[in-house]
Amino acid sequence: MSLIEPIQFATLVVLVLNALGVAALIILKAINRSRRRRAEARKRSHMRLISRHVAFEHSTDPVPAKAATDPAFIDALIDVRNALAGSDLEKLERLVARHGVVDELVSDLRRSFPKVKRLRAAMALAELADDEAVPVLLEHLDDREPEIRVQAARGLGRMKWTPAIDAIVARFGMETPWVRARFADTLIGFGSAATWPLVAYVTVNHRHETAGPVAAIRTLAAIGDDEAVKPLIEVLHAGADPEVAIAVIEALGHLENPMAAPVLRSATRDADWRIRAKAVTALGLLADTESLEDLAAALHDPEWWVRRNAAAALGVIPGGLDRLYEALTGRDHPASEAAIEALVDIGELAAARARIEEGNGRTRDHDLISVAEAGR
Amino acid sequence: MPKILIADDSETITTLLTTALESNGYEVSVASDGHQAYQLGIDSEHDLAILDQLMPGLLGIEVIEKWREEGIETPVIILTGVDDERTAVESLDRGAVDYVRKPFRLPELLARIRQRI
Repeated sequence: MSLIEPIQFATLVVLVLNALGVAALIILKAINRSRRRRAEARKRSHMRLISRHVAFEHSTDPVPAKAATDPAFIDALIDVRNALAGSDLEKLERLVARHGVVDELVSDLRRSFPKVKRLRAAMALAELADDEAVPVLLEHLDDREPEIRVQAARGLGRMKWTPAIDAIVARFGMETPWVRARFADTLIGFGSAATWPLVAYVTVNHRHETAGPVAAIRTLAAIGDDEAVKPLIEVLHAGADPEVAIAVIEALGHLENPMAAPVLRSATRDADWRIRAKAVTALGLLADTESLEDLAAALHDPEWWVRRNAAAALGVIPGGLDRLYEALTGRDHPASEAAIEALVDIGELAAARARIEEGNGRTRDHDLISVAEAGR
Repeated sequence: MPKILIADDSETITTLLTTALESNGYEVSVASDGHQAYQLGIDSEHDLAILDQLMPGLLGIEVIEKWREEGIETPVIILTGVDDERTAVESLDRGAVDYVRKPFRLPELLARIRQRI
């Protein structure tokens, strides 16, 4: 037998296997498409059924026996729930309770596997936001799967179940950045109810952790509750880690409470340039007119970011423009440049040029303004 | 039997509204985008239209404008998002008779419909 025959045979085998593989793929795709269509048809049918139960308080339309285990029924329930408000939601809750939907989902979530089914159950429980699911959602805040932990928190947030706040905040330090960010979203949804648990977490942990307290501080800024201002100031006074201090300063800027002005002014002289840069920005957000001297001094900072941010802050605080014009005609060129940039940003360049021309404008200042004007 | 046109790209909304309206004795026609809604309004007379503001094709407000250009005076209730105060007010300026925010309460929507028909 020559060599050609085995090669031909092998080639034939490979071709046949390829053909079988392609055929299998085509068949699988067709099966999946058919499954999807059937699921969509079931979902439409369930949606009509659920709509009748909502439209008629005492609808006798039968709900299929295994509806609670049918993902299409759950999807339809969720979609209808998200479209309705008020007493219609109560009708939906009664429908959910009558057919043991939550029990089935809880049972799916408590399984060991498969992950997809567990995650689907967690998402559905979060969307349905039924009080019956609270214990299982609390239980699963420390599930081994991060996506399930996120859905557990989300569900508790949708129900505004405030007793869950402490449990969610307690996990800040041990979570991955993604989960922590999703937990933060949930806590923001709770609003000011989350303020003191977050403040307590930051106060206790900021000395020996960074990531968790930083995330908690940013969450406090997003919530926007003035109750957080004083404790955050105290964190700065306690000598926080630079990353934590930066987060606190940013938060104090966003909270826009004048109580923070003195500590922020002091921070414009910190040894760390990042803290100085954030502090001048925060003072701009506070529009604190008593900080004009500190901001004018920061125009002469050795770091570009500090000068730039100070100039931007002066551009928005009443009385700040005069300090920018002064910087234009001073001897400090980096300060002039920062002032010009800020004036360009706020559209005051023409006024700056006029001021220079009526005063002691230097050639370099004219040059800088011309360059800035050409660039616009 | 009063006839109502519903236009929304969400099948959930159109199914819910169709079921609720038919059970309250209204005849319903359904569109899933702005162009379809406009055409249905041209092709046959309706006593009321409930249009989603954000739809593929034409926006709800745009459908109203195009109808008015054709002399079609069907009263319109606009469905808007919960935080979309500006659109809600704009829709009234552009010819809608009312607006309802999503998620909505069916009893409230039905009451507003009864007020118009």
